[in-house]
Amino acid sequence: MLRSSLIGVAFAAAFAFTVLWSARGRRTNERHTFAWLLVAATIAGLSLWRHGIDTLASAMGIYYAPSALFFLALSALMWVVYRLSLQVAEQRQQLKRLAQEVALLTSTEHERLARAPPRSDSVPAAARHDPHAA
Amino acid sequence: MDTRRGLIVLLAFNEEECIATTVAELREALPDLDVLVVDDGSRDQTAERARAAGAFVLTHPFNLGVAAGEASGLLYASRHGYAQVIRMDGDGQHDPASVPALREALQSGVELVIGSRFAGVASFRSTWLRRFGNQFLAGLLSTLSRQRITDPTSGFRGFGPQAIRFFARTHPHDYPEPESVLMAARQGFPIAEVAVRMRPRLTGTSSLTPWKSAFYMAKVSFALLMERVRPV
Repeated sequence: MLRSSLIGVAFAAAFAFTVLWSARGRRTNERHTFAWLLVAATIAGLSLWRHGIDTLASAMGIYYAPSALFFLALSALMWVVYRLSLQVAEQRQQLKRLAQEVALLTSTEHERLARAPPRSDSVPAAARHDPHAA
Repeated sequence: MDTRRGLIVLLAFNEEECIATTVAELREALPDLDVLVVDDGSRDQTAERARAAGAFVLTHPFNLGVAAGEASGLLYASRHGYAQVIRMDGDGQHDPASVPALREALQSGVELVIGSRFAGVASFRSTWLRRFGNQFLAGLLSTLSRQRITDPTSGFRGFGPQAIRFFARTHPHDYPEPESVLMAARQGFPIAEVAVRMRPRLTGTSSLTPWKSAFYMAKVSFALLMERVRPV
């Protein structure tokens, strides 16, 4: 195996290990873990299949093979980032709504407490502080 | 439904120095209106002072921005059955003397009434850059909404019952003042402008710089164009 293939495979293995370690510690969810593992597998596959990049480049009509690799890698990364930005926007909406509901509930509770008559069975403040009081 | 039941929504963020004065002034000048202070995650005594001054208070657990503050006020109004909402700023810049004019417009069937600083009352002074930005946005918004709007960024506005229900459900994300005008126009709500007076702010200073103003103009223009192509 060529040295460059070894480096590629080692990098893919290290990346896959990092992703799995994060998943084990519940720092990422399964959907993201799976996507990143696919990325690692692709890196390993292209490292081992020496002529894979050349085949891809010629299929895409690109003369310089590494350009095809850069194009595919950038496209994949852009897709991942775009998906993440959609999720961030959705979660921002959910967070805003949640905060508004919390504000409304807190306000309702405050108004209810302000309207509630004092409880007749409550112990007077003076009595609470005096353990000898009747 | 009591068509006169109205709520003043004051947006406040770290306004402990002036919120009690503003609430007290409004309660004295407009005793038939309830006052709600939307405290947008203040780190000072804004909520406590507003409550002590006699306002209802909604407190966001953290700062959500002006758009969410307005949306919370409208959500509160919708849940509590208010037929009119007047949105004002908590820093005292909006003159309570202009509120009856906004309410009159709402009583006549208008669903969104904008308190305009540029519709005839010569009380408002600003820099040439802000005037240019306002005129540009006013032109864009007037074209997109197919009616003349002179003050697209005014936060001194009134909402009728249909607008309250609609905006409690669907509210602009980022630039509530101009975006909601376009949304209301596309919903077919009657919109009107009323000349209002603006006063110098009681406390604090504006955070706008020329660069921020230019960037704001570009972002709002983009948001308006996006809003125009969304399904109604």
